[in-house]
Amino acid sequence: MAQAVPAPPPDPSKKRVKVYELRNNDWVDRGTGFCTATYVFNDSLRKDEARVVVQSEEEPERNLLETKICKDDGFQKQQDTLIVWTEMSTNIDMALSFQEADGCAMIWKFVNSVQQQLSEINGPEDAFSDEINAADTYSVTLPPPALGNLPDINAQMQHCNLSPQGRDALGRYIINEDYIRKLIPLVELAEDLEDLPSLHRLCNIMKTMILLNDTTIIEHAVTDDVVLGVVGALEYDPDFPSHKANHRHWLGREGRYKEVVRIEDEQIRKKIHHTYRLQYLKDVVLARILDDPTFSVLNSLIFYYQVEIVQHLQTNAVFLKELFGIFGPQETDQERKKEAVLFIQQCCAVSKQLQQPARQQLYNNFLGHGLLSVINFALHHSDVGVRVGATDVLVSMIDHDPQMIRQTIFRQINEKQTPLTDSLIDLLLVEADLGVKAQIADAIKVLLDPGSQNGPLDSLAKAGGDFSRLRPQADPQQELFLSNFYEASAKKLFQPLVDLKDRETMDFSVHQVSLFIYLIEILCFFIRQHQHRSKYFVLAESLGQRIAQLLSSREKYLKLTAMKFFRNLVGLQDEFYNSQLMQDHLFKPILDIVIETMPRDNLLNSACLELFEYIKKEGNRVIISHLVENYRDILKDITYVETFKTFLDRYDQTQGFTTLSEAVHFMDDDDETPKRSDAGRGTRWESGIKDLDAAEEQYFNTSDDDEDEEPIKSSTSINGASPISKPLVDYGSDEENENNDAGIVRSDSKTPESSDTKDTDEDLVLTPTSSAPTPPERLSEKRRREEDEEDELGKLSANKRRSSTSSNSSVGSITNNFLKRKKSLNGRDGTGPAKTNKIAISLSPAIKTGGEGNANGENDN
Amino acid sequence: MVKDLDKAIAQLRACRPIPEAQVRELCHKARELLIEEGNVVTVTAPVTICGDIHGQFHDLMELFRVGGDVPDTNYLFMGDFVDRGFYSLESFLLLLCLKVRYPDRMTLIRGNHESRQITTVYGFYDECLRKYGSANVWRYCCEVFDYLALGAIVLGASSNLQPASETSTGTQSKNNVTSTREYNEADIEIEVLNAEGDILHRFPRKKGQANNVIQRSPNKSSSPVKTGPPGSGASGSSGGSVGNSSGAVLCVHGGLSPLIDTVDKIRLLDRKQEVPHEGAMCDLLWSDPDEIEGWGLSPRGAGFLFGADIVKTFNHNNDLSMIARAHQLVMEGFKEMFDNSIVTVWSAPNYCYRCGNVAAILELGEDGGVENLRSNGDAGRSNGASSILAFRDKERVPGPARRYRVFQAAPQDSRGMPAKKPVADYFL
Repeated sequence: MAQAVPAPPPDPSKKRVKVYELRNNDWVDRGTGFCTATYVFNDSLRKDEARVVVQSEEEPERNLLETKICKDDGFQKQQDTLIVWTEMSTNIDMALSFQEADGCAMIWKFVNSVQQQLSEINGPEDAFSDEINAADTYSVTLPPPALGNLPDINAQMQHCNLSPQGRDALGRYIINEDYIRKLIPLVELAEDLEDLPSLHRLCNIMKTMILLNDTTIIEHAVTDDVVLGVVGALEYDPDFPSHKANHRHWLGREGRYKEVVRIEDEQIRKKIHHTYRLQYLKDVVLARILDDPTFSVLNSLIFYYQVEIVQHLQTNAVFLKELFGIFGPQETDQERKKEAVLFIQQCCAVSKQLQQPARQQLYNNFLGHGLLSVINFALHHSDVGVRVGATDVLVSMIDHDPQMIRQTIFRQINEKQTPLTDSLIDLLLVEADLGVKAQIADAIKVLLDPGSQNGPLDSLAKAGGDFSRLRPQADPQQELFLSNFYEASAKKLFQPLVDLKDRETMDFSVHQVSLFIYLIEILCFFIRQHQHRSKYFVLAESLGQRIAQLLSSREKYLKLTAMKFFRNLVGLQDEFYNSQLMQDHLFKPILDIVIETMPRDNLLNSACLELFEYIKKEGNRVIISHLVENYRDILKDITYVETFKTFLDRYDQTQGFTTLSEAVHFMDDDDETPKRSDAGRGTRWESGIKDLDAAEEQYFNTSDDDEDEEPIKSSTSINGASPISKPLVDYGSDEENENNDAGIVRSDSKTPESSDTKDTDEDLVLTPTSSAPTPPERLSEKRRREEDEEDELGKLSANKRRSSTSSNSSVGSITNNFLKRKKSLNGRDGTGPAKTNKIAISLSPAIKTGGEGNANGENDN
Repeated sequence: MVKDLDKAIAQLRACRPIPEAQVRELCHKARELLIEEGNVVTVTAPVTICGDIHGQFHDLMELFRVGGDVPDTNYLFMGDFVDRGFYSLESFLLLLCLKVRYPDRMTLIRGNHESRQITTVYGFYDECLRKYGSANVWRYCCEVFDYLALGAIVLGASSNLQPASETSTGTQSKNNVTSTREYNEADIEIEVLNAEGDILHRFPRKKGQANNVIQRSPNKSSSPVKTGPPGSGASGSSGGSVGNSSGAVLCVHGGLSPLIDTVDKIRLLDRKQEVPHEGAMCDLLWSDPDEIEGWGLSPRGAGFLFGADIVKTFNHNNDLSMIARAHQLVMEGFKEMFDNSIVTVWSAPNYCYRCGNVAAILELGEDGGVENLRSNGDAGRSNGASSILAFRDKERVPGPARRYRVFQAAPQDSRGMPAKKPVADYFL
């Protein structure tokens, strides 16, 4: 696509380089020559293009390489003498290896400045600023819209699309000429003529226009008079020649819009429709072809619209009054009540995208108008959809700020109303829908979790339902709340377990089974969180014995859940529970399960073994003695794992742990620290483990600053780990090292050795190589959306929660933009803030080493 | 019941989700089945081992086309069924249906994406919400995730390749007519076929290779496919007559853990939980092999990096000839490392619809008579380490003969429009 251009006369800017290309994961030398980087005039586009040209040393009339700089992040510099990129037209990874660092620096300076310009033009956040300076350089005129002109229009647009200036000019032309509106009649015309080629072209043209990534165009495309034409054209995707989508059917008129309470503001109503259409564009029409910038433009448009809509609604007292009035006695239309619940559900879903204060305000306003009684009403609704809606609303509020709900519950208690918790308990006991049940169980846990009173944005994601939470801090109100709960509600909640006492058979219905499972899980949670209160409750109600009864149920997963209750108790290492377990002989039924499942290797069996392994690991002498003294014969029979034999041996060797020294010795013997336990067997692991610990320690000592970027697992290792990076980090300057820390190993690129292990997002490989001359590493061809870029555990930051809705990606991109900016402070590549994430990529230690290897290799040549 | 299942399978094969109630039922049945499986499932060859799928439903269909349909072919999927692709739900439910329908022919083990936390971020949660309007289906699926096995051991894989069976691909190519005898004489260890069954590469077994057990591996490039024979530092008693059967193959999504030195240790984990942030279970699902010595911290923030020495020691101590894992995109679909002691298999072509990679599946053939079968129970469990060691030091069992089938993304028009179903009604 690049046309030949006469090489400029030789000048000092020519630098001697070797050109490499990556073929089958080998860097192939394409020859040596002189490199220049300059603007070259392109006749067909009538504009200057920045190019890098390498003129062959042997045959000066031949160009070894001629490539256009047309992406803001195409080229990357590595080490002092390497520039690497992926050739756009061929998708081949290329590299220039300079003879001298000076030469490389000069070329890079040019390339970098061009890329910076590109990034300014491309960057979505700069959509406004470039309008002036780019305006005078370029202008576009398209043929008048007519079926006959479509091939021409399409071709010209493709042309413009190649350069940022062209795209910009095209965008302005389309807006100024109202070009979309002029194109739209052609869709119907072509349909009438059954002119499929034209329809395909129209689709391509429409795609190109939208992907110009111009906010104005996109906003225009979803307005009432053109939207159907736009999506109509997009129904004929040439990629799927045999299919036709039915977007117009979905978006036609206002068919799918439901208005529970009339929204008077014309503008807001429009915004609501536009938002829906934008989402439809994003999720359905363009899902397959969206590029990163357009994706984020769509997301931010949606975001701003939603902010506006929600702000409008929640400050509109008349509206809110009417909305909540629907649940009053005057309203008789049951369908309308149902829709009002679903409306509120959608409001809450949307509000999850909003910033915290706005969300807080919304909930406060809702609560002020009586949201809790609405929830109460909806939770008891006969329609499961309404119940799902109600739990959704409740859970999203609880996720946002459990303390807010608790305050309301206190008020209910003070006013002698039935507190919400009791309603939830009632519901849990009878609810038939397993999904709703699960949500309610979750809600109960959170509401009664004294640890989670840290208000909004409680950052511990609790997707798993019971990740360990912060230890409770005493809060008088919370204490009151809890004691109130244990006085009355707890008994009701766990009554089904208590009732097991007089039950003979352990055959249950599906719903009973699931209820027991939720109850036990809640109880486990309480036991961990409300220490003394739950303790006495468990004792008073003999819940241990009751749950032990469930161990003989026929349902394996109920058995398993019951087993895990005991595992939880043992895990607390609490003498009170331990002695209760022993006193009630509750280890017996667990041993029975081991015997029962014995040679079989299944989940239940493994879970039981894990319990005893844990006891062994912790070296709890009291429990071991109890086991040996009471169940010696049983233990003797379980020989297929070592665990039980170990119990017997330890007991016998120490005569029941009677001698202290023996006991101490035995602990030492065990050579397992509780934490790293399993690894201890066999010395060969030892050194490795020690290294790791040292590494971890070093990590903790050095890189605290990054912690806020990687909220969850900032601790281990996102950062290049020390044992690995040691060989890598032999750069002189501190700054470089720091860069390693900051840049983290988020590499999309890789060393040649691992080049077939292509690292995307989740496939980061950090490969130190000390092997002989290695060619430069290859860049990955494609960048993924920011949020796709890494699949690290650390990425699961708190604001990404289970509760996020379908457009959650917008939050993602927002947070990511935020992160991006933040990282730009660390990235020192000077390529500008818009793309620092990528800089971080290019700076991975692995690359550096690879590059260095190459530099050496080059010198050897 | 079987009829219902077959109906559901047909519907899912057409890439249409099944109703929520049916999902609940399916997950319930799957749970009953999976709870009976050990943390490490024992599978006997022949079996076809597959890596990440990531919701690329049409490519999964292509996989079945290339590898043969269920139940004609036995499959072992090494996790990461969901997230990223547009059809996580259909892909996972189809695999689960097949598992319930043909429990002995389908093995599913857990990947790091089979987790609540990960799926809320990488798409599966959103997809369920969009397709069903509530998170219920996501909850059911996550519950099933907790029951998935953590690994599998393949036994009885033949060390000789048999001719590719005609049934597995509809369009068997003409130039692929090598007789069994020819295979045996050539002693082919690795064969790479394309989607149509044409042979792309063949690699005979290297003599003496069976013995280079724990030689300190110099930093040599790993893939034999690319670099030719690694320097054979083998010596000592040659493999001799090891018969037809090869050592066992451990399959796990990520890799090894410093907390796990024997396969039996995996059996002592309580796997029914959300994937933890650390510990053995986490490592098995998150770790990656790397060109290092010993262990290293993983840039992923979970799991570890482990080097050739770790793999070789582990294989040696556990009587394994090889480890098969997934978890990392490889452009060629598969990649053997560390003197063929570990292989990465990746089965999502053109990953994320834009990575441009090809995918692969790994076929392990059946050995004539499986004798040392470890049943799903105690047979393989060691009575202390010493007894096994004694046996082990004699010779290294040869690696199984491996047939990789490489395939590309399903053609565009076979996949229909990206049918993300929009929300039906909207208030806002």
